[in-house]
Amino acid sequence: MTRTLHLSLDINGRRHELDVEPRVTLLDALREHLALTGTKKGCDQGQCGACTCHVDGQRVLSCLTLAAQVEGRQITTIEGIAAETGELHPVQAAFLEHDAFQCGYCTSGQIMSAVACIKEGHAGSDDEIREYMSGNLCRCGAYNSIVSAVREAAEAAR
Amino acid sequence: MTIMEPRKHGSAADGLVGGRLSRFEGQMKVTGAATYALEYPVENLAHAVLVQSTIASGRVLLVDKAEALAAPGVLLVLTPEDDLGLMTKSDWFGNRPDNQPYAPLPREISYNGETIAAVIAESREQAVEAIKLLRITYDETPGVADLHDPKAGDGKVMDNLSVSWGDAEAALAASAVTIEAEYQTPREYHVAMEPHGLTAKWDGDQLTIWEPSQWTHAMALNYAEWFGLPPDNVRLISTFVGGGFGSKGAALAYGAVAASAARKLGRPVKLAVTRPQNFTSYGGRAATRQTIKLGATKDGVLQAIVHRGASETSVTTDYPEQTGAATPILYKVENYSSQSRVVPVNTVTPGALRGPGKNPSAFGIECAMDELASKLGMDPLELRLKNYADRDYQTGKPWSTRMLREALAQGAEAFGWSKRSHAPRSMREGRQLIGWGIGCGTFPVIQAPSAAMIRILASGRVEVVSGAIDMGQGTYTILAQTASEALGVPIDQIDVLLGDSRMPGSAIAGGSMLAGSITGAVHKTATAARDELIGLALNAPNSPFRDTGANTLSVAGGRISVTRGEGPSMSLPELMAAIGQAELEVTRNTLPDDAQGAADQNAAWTSMKRVEGPTMGEFSMHSWCAHFAEVRVDEDFGTVRVSRMVSAFDCGRLYNPKMVESQWRGGIIMGIGQALFEEGMVDGRNGRTVNNNVGDYLVPTNADIPDLQVISVGVPDLKASALGGKGVGEVGIVGVAPAIANAVFHATGKRVRDLPLTLDKLL
Repeated sequence: MTRTLHLSLDINGRRHELDVEPRVTLLDALREHLALTGTKKGCDQGQCGACTCHVDGQRVLSCLTLAAQVEGRQITTIEGIAAETGELHPVQAAFLEHDAFQCGYCTSGQIMSAVACIKEGHAGSDDEIREYMSGNLCRCGAYNSIVSAVREAAEAAR
Repeated sequence: MTIMEPRKHGSAADGLVGGRLSRFEGQMKVTGAATYALEYPVENLAHAVLVQSTIASGRVLLVDKAEALAAPGVLLVLTPEDDLGLMTKSDWFGNRPDNQPYAPLPREISYNGETIAAVIAESREQAVEAIKLLRITYDETPGVADLHDPKAGDGKVMDNLSVSWGDAEAALAASAVTIEAEYQTPREYHVAMEPHGLTAKWDGDQLTIWEPSQWTHAMALNYAEWFGLPPDNVRLISTFVGGGFGSKGAALAYGAVAASAARKLGRPVKLAVTRPQNFTSYGGRAATRQTIKLGATKDGVLQAIVHRGASETSVTTDYPEQTGAATPILYKVENYSSQSRVVPVNTVTPGALRGPGKNPSAFGIECAMDELASKLGMDPLELRLKNYADRDYQTGKPWSTRMLREALAQGAEAFGWSKRSHAPRSMREGRQLIGWGIGCGTFPVIQAPSAAMIRILASGRVEVVSGAIDMGQGTYTILAQTASEALGVPIDQIDVLLGDSRMPGSAIAGGSMLAGSITGAVHKTATAARDELIGLALNAPNSPFRDTGANTLSVAGGRISVTRGEGPSMSLPELMAAIGQAELEVTRNTLPDDAQGAADQNAAWTSMKRVEGPTMGEFSMHSWCAHFAEVRVDEDFGTVRVSRMVSAFDCGRLYNPKMVESQWRGGIIMGIGQALFEEGMVDGRNGRTVNNNVGDYLVPTNADIPDLQVISVGVPDLKASALGGKGVGEVGIVGVAPAIANAVFHATGKRVRDLPLTLDKLL
């Protein structure tokens, strides 16, 4: 069985039209069909957090979300959080400043989680940041710097 | 490509070698603009998905592919029936058997999870669906599941790893105090966040591979040899690498499958190895066991070390995980004996994982030293200082630099070690038992040649070009700093281009050898480029410097000027325009003068032929570290948390402390994972890796990691490298697990000698 769905997705404030099979995940739709490769595939089974995006402002694992599920909703990816001018989002700037990554592969997911974590009000202390950032694995081990970056961005947002 | 925007911090010195420049490519990584191998846009892609064996040993009798081939979108199914026409590639040392065919989809199965087939379809989803329609019949034979399988036996002695001096057995027998214990480590996995995979594209007999790589030239040659192509016909591109930790240094069977499929189909093929498949597509760290006997005087002077180690390997290749690697060099000992075995079992051939050899080796000797301290009633810090090695007792050579005493002293001071109450179970907070432990670590300085190119463009921008790679260690950053300093050009005028086998060759990003090697090559090349630029400025017909009478000129801040007195001063673009030079390109390498031929160069960038170990010269050269760990063990539940760590390192000069501290912490965190969580579980019935995913094979999460204080005590070591650094990436993990195990003993009074330190072993 292969049939295609026509989808119209609202991603980073722009409308994207695509024809995909019903079983295509949001992650694969972004990476394989829309050339939005900033969102990463680390496990494809909801365990690592590298594919974290926002749907209507909430963090979701795009590998466990079908593209067809998010029609009519607002999707935000790592490509969509900096200002139009190119100025980095405060979380992006803090990650860069604190060296909160090495290889960079988990970074998009970490940043998307961090933006949501701060917005959720879960960045009140280092321990809280650690807890609410624990759905995003970083094998290079940038956790100390991630906590510093999120703390700084959270303080700036207050 | 987006220009990498350097970020400086406070002072101009941040852009020089030793400065804390932020990650050079960081802007691309935080915006999602960094393009990893599987993300390159390639037209008309087909998608391949691997099929792995479900038995440990035996033979594929039949892969019935009729139904799968008829499934929607399926283009090709490759099985052991297909002769792909490949030849065996060279090994690490450049040795290659004559006329030996290579079958990446073998009929004979030697481990569970071995790749035996691939389905290629228009979409990945279609390929995954079609795999369910394959009917595979095996002739299964009994296998050996793992090191603990009774059928595994004792394996075979690796004679080249036997080391002895003095008379260890006699000295041990004569020692007043002895300990003997067996230590074990399980299978461990790299789990780089970017799974393996590639895109392969043919243009006639030219092959382009986009694949994450720790060694672009060597992997390009792997493909060329498999397919019988001239080496120049293969281009391997690896601009960004999502972590490697030792797993991405050679082309693997799946690569041969994807490239073969692309050739058969006449269209490019992308193959993404799934996360579960990553656990058996290449080897992690082998499971090990080792017995250590220590003999000492009553006041704690080490008299003898006897080490007997074994690690599991595959049934096809003897790959030793050297549990005796750190044992002989951490302490002063006059009598030493070590023997290592490999035990073949039905597993994928193990591989190098962060701190290979040194890591499990340090777990043994550093726990054993703690056991000796405990038996002597001595502070484990005092025991280590008492037996401090003033030279390398294995080779008799002096150390190039060894600041391990300072690491122990400064680490202890920062940790507050003097406040330790030495009896086990003597520190607690409520129901939490608190323990403090020490573990030392080491990793050899490995030297290798590299090449680099510097291009000074008419615009005044400078390109640093090398086939070396950056998988997060900071290659982009430190090469920008090196070139900036040597050329006298500001960091924001520099671009660094890496990760392409068409670029000048380099050492592998492994064994902590790349930074020392490639900074040396870039420094040499940039210095030569600067000299050439000055030569042109002094001699070119239209140069305003021609008639100044100056012997030389200075280049600083991107301007070229007369060194003394009054005279012209120009920016690089002004000079390039004045002398009519469109571009200045300089390539240099660090091979000796008598090895500049093409064959020598190719061998240097693709094999270990030119690699020099830590004791090949007059000195014994190593990085060193001392870890201090605090654990809290729940008295009721046996759960262990690391609550605090201080680690002090001697890695020589640091090219960029910000990058180095990140790598040290990364190594320590992987060591915490090794100590507390990481363990490949094998089904004894069929040799299957049961926990082949990151929900079941546990790596540390953010909540598992406390603040980690890292301290540098190193001094520049110009014997170790051109710019004075020693290796940074590997050493961080070495000694972490024993520090934590020793802390757990101190907390609980229970000595756990097999990793990981899970609660079932403490209750």
